[in-house]
Amino acid sequence: MKTAQLTGTQRTIKILQLLLILLPFTLPLWVESQYYVQSILGRIFIYTILVVSLDLVVGYIGDISIGHAGLFAVGAYTMGILNSTAAANAGSTMTMFLEWPFLPSLIVAVIVTGFFGFLLGFPSLRTSGPYLAVTTIAYGLIIYTFINEQEGLTNGTKGITMAPLNAFGYNFNDNKFIWIVYPFLLLVMYFKSNLSKSFWGRAFEAIKFSNIAAESSGISKVRYKLTAFVMSACIAGLAGALFTHLDRYIAPNTFSMDFSILALMALIFGGVRSTFGNIIGMALVVILPDLFTWFKDYRLMVFGLLLLLTLFFLPNGLAGLMRKHFPKLFEKPKPIFTPSDRSQIEFKMEECKDGHTPLVLDDVEMRFGGLVAVNKLNLKVHPGTIHGLMGPNGSGKSTTVNVITGLYNQTTGQVNAFGKSIGKMKPHERAQMGIARTFQNLQLFGDLTVLENVQVGLHKHYKSSFFSVLMGLPSVAKEEKEKQIEAYRLLEFVGLESLANEQAKNLAYGQSRRLEIARAMALKPKLILLDEPAAGLTTLEINEFNQIILKIKSAGIAVLLIEHHMDMMMKISDEITVLDFGKKIAEGRPSDVQANPEVVKAYLGAEGAINA
Amino acid sequence: MTEVLQLIISGAIQGMIYALIAFGYNLTFSTSKTINFSLGQIVMLGGVTGYILYIDMQSGQLSGLPFIVPLIGVLIIGALAGAVVHKTAVEPSLKFKSEYTWILATLAVGIIIKNGVEQLWSTGDFRMLSPLGDNVLRFGGVGVYAQEILIVIVSLAIVCGVEMFKRRTIYGKAIQAVSEDKATASLMGIPEKFVITISFMMSASIAAIAGLLVAPLTFVSASMGTVLGIKAYSVSIIGGLESGFGPLVGGLILGISETLTARYISTGYKEMPGFIFLIIVILFKPNGLFGKKIIKKV
Repeated sequence: MKTAQLTGTQRTIKILQLLLILLPFTLPLWVESQYYVQSILGRIFIYTILVVSLDLVVGYIGDISIGHAGLFAVGAYTMGILNSTAAANAGSTMTMFLEWPFLPSLIVAVIVTGFFGFLLGFPSLRTSGPYLAVTTIAYGLIIYTFINEQEGLTNGTKGITMAPLNAFGYNFNDNKFIWIVYPFLLLVMYFKSNLSKSFWGRAFEAIKFSNIAAESSGISKVRYKLTAFVMSACIAGLAGALFTHLDRYIAPNTFSMDFSILALMALIFGGVRSTFGNIIGMALVVILPDLFTWFKDYRLMVFGLLLLLTLFFLPNGLAGLMRKHFPKLFEKPKPIFTPSDRSQIEFKMEECKDGHTPLVLDDVEMRFGGLVAVNKLNLKVHPGTIHGLMGPNGSGKSTTVNVITGLYNQTTGQVNAFGKSIGKMKPHERAQMGIARTFQNLQLFGDLTVLENVQVGLHKHYKSSFFSVLMGLPSVAKEEKEKQIEAYRLLEFVGLESLANEQAKNLAYGQSRRLEIARAMALKPKLILLDEPAAGLTTLEINEFNQIILKIKSAGIAVLLIEHHMDMMMKISDEITVLDFGKKIAEGRPSDVQANPEVVKAYLGAEGAINA
Repeated sequence: MTEVLQLIISGAIQGMIYALIAFGYNLTFSTSKTINFSLGQIVMLGGVTGYILYIDMQSGQLSGLPFIVPLIGVLIIGALAGAVVHKTAVEPSLKFKSEYTWILATLAVGIIIKNGVEQLWSTGDFRMLSPLGDNVLRFGGVGVYAQEILIVIVSLAIVCGVEMFKRRTIYGKAIQAVSEDKATASLMGIPEKFVITISFMMSASIAAIAGLLVAPLTFVSASMGTVLGIKAYSVSIIGGLESGFGPLVGGLILGISETLTARYISTGYKEMPGFIFLIIVILFKPNGLFGKKIIKKV
């Protein structure tokens, strides 16, 4: 595989970017004005760190947080309590001064805030959208009340004053403060960019786009969401801890809900999931009121209007605007595959050799209130066979699939896979065991490319640790390349290789159905559930699909095929189970089932059965 | 004992206000499946409009207009604000699939309203007089302001009236049809967008009336609506956004917990139990105490 070579202009752009990144380091050496460097630029940098933190939750996970000011406060107050001195706070109600050095205080502040983020993460597992938004508001207000009232710890409304900043045996006051803040901003940006490029970033995207499809690809929602919240909180805590030294004074009023909203505004102005957007958005929010003094009183009104305009006319913010007009600046190299790649990694499917029956349903019953959707169903899928599951609309086919994959938990009965009882396992655990599925109503990740969709399916096969991903180690890049080739091979398997770099939402219907299969196969399953894979396809396409399914079977993978198309079912199934009103009414070889009067009755009605 | 009873009654009356505003949240949620995060600011708009029309700002005394004038003024302002929120924030947002567009858009409108009132009117706190005077009525040992009795009566009347309207009249049925299924309602000839606009106007009028009612008990200021709006929203969530009488129960829980905490723990912490309770409800019953369970379909 090769990535596109840099052209001359792109190289110039790269060099200019590098110089621009290094520029702030030199500022303390040649700029006298403390106002513009320490106060304004320092503020932009610190607040941008907070915006990055918010971006992790809003941009990547897709949850709205209006409580990040609370997390920012936890970081700031931890730093204040640990690092401040009795001398600087004469006459305050604070009862203890630990007077720790800067760096240990910073580390503890980050860890403590991370813990608060962990707590905030739990509601996000249960709910989202407006419900979660109010939870984050409540969380922020609880923290706000606490710092206001705990006078012994925080000096209440009168706030904490900090001593001049000394770290590493060196004085970082005035403009030299930039030397402390800026490296942290770069580090946080570097982490975020590495994370977003990796399988972690794709997992976040997958959860945001479709919880269910992500879980079915073996991604644990609990683990990834909590990690995102903890990481976001750690970064917010870092920003807060640095903020303590910006004005050398903190008081509760700074950390109100308005500040959370301001950070959100900055994020939206700039554009989510963009390093450039994070900085430019916050820079605007800090600089605009400073530039126009008349503007100060009306700034919230103007920001409100700007927010509305951005939301409706620039949904991707200023970064989106830039990307549209200067695509060269933001172009990411797209993987191009060469014939030699194919020989590098052999495409193979895993066989189910361990002798256990891939799937056994034992008297499974699924009730929704009084409705029995699946009634005492017994079903056995043998290795290396295609087992058809058919029945009229509403007969319980899809419910059966959802019970097997763990979206629903059966009311009574046993679900066994590969000799283990899986009835109580989470969907992602079942996926990791080797049960893959496709969705009747397409659940592709539309904003990701076709190749990346398959890479989400490969998720459980990634071995890199979280920290090596954050650090951007070479081993991570190497693994990513291998997986890209593997994903490409899977695309070849379903005949989509020419569309690898296309966004999934641009695919035609039949192509989307193929991509669903490629993504499910990426899990290297031992059992695959195909939920109406041929719905809406033409006869020609169905024939191609039959070939793909037969290839899967010949690799030794058990297939449970849910279908309406009689022809397809009869042609490729080894065994068929027919459901009607949640009950099994027939089972056996295709020819036997076809002749079964019960089946004819279910499909054509009693009258039709007489005429047939 | 009387003290506890007094606290419970004061809390319950405070809770009625929350319940009334929460009822406004539920009304628009049912039709549009969105939350109007600017409703708290519309409560404030109601309080401020009522003050301007009823009190002479220089002297702080009654301006002489009968109470019906501020009442009608507040209703009109509320209906207008509701229509504006719907047209400028909610309707354009629904074109985008993501939830955060409408959350942020309604928040933005709220910020604009608040900052607008601060700049065009005042940033100060003002004392609103009750049309029923300051007399305290005594029932046994328990004292209640006449205004508080008015709050209970008006709140219950509004809640019952709107519920009757929804259940008994053809226009109310149109609202319910849109709540059930927008597409089908629209196919049956119900002007879906118009119904949603109406629900926003009703919801905002109710919130504005709540602002007028609560004004004599608190102060009138540009910031009076922010916390009130959040608390009422918590009440909505606790009771269940799709529940009819859930907000009443949620309101009572929050209101009573506040007065009890303020008396026995500390006034500074009075809002804590409500917010902690909210988080607990979200964790264990994400659809609220009286919400319907939603089965996700794949």
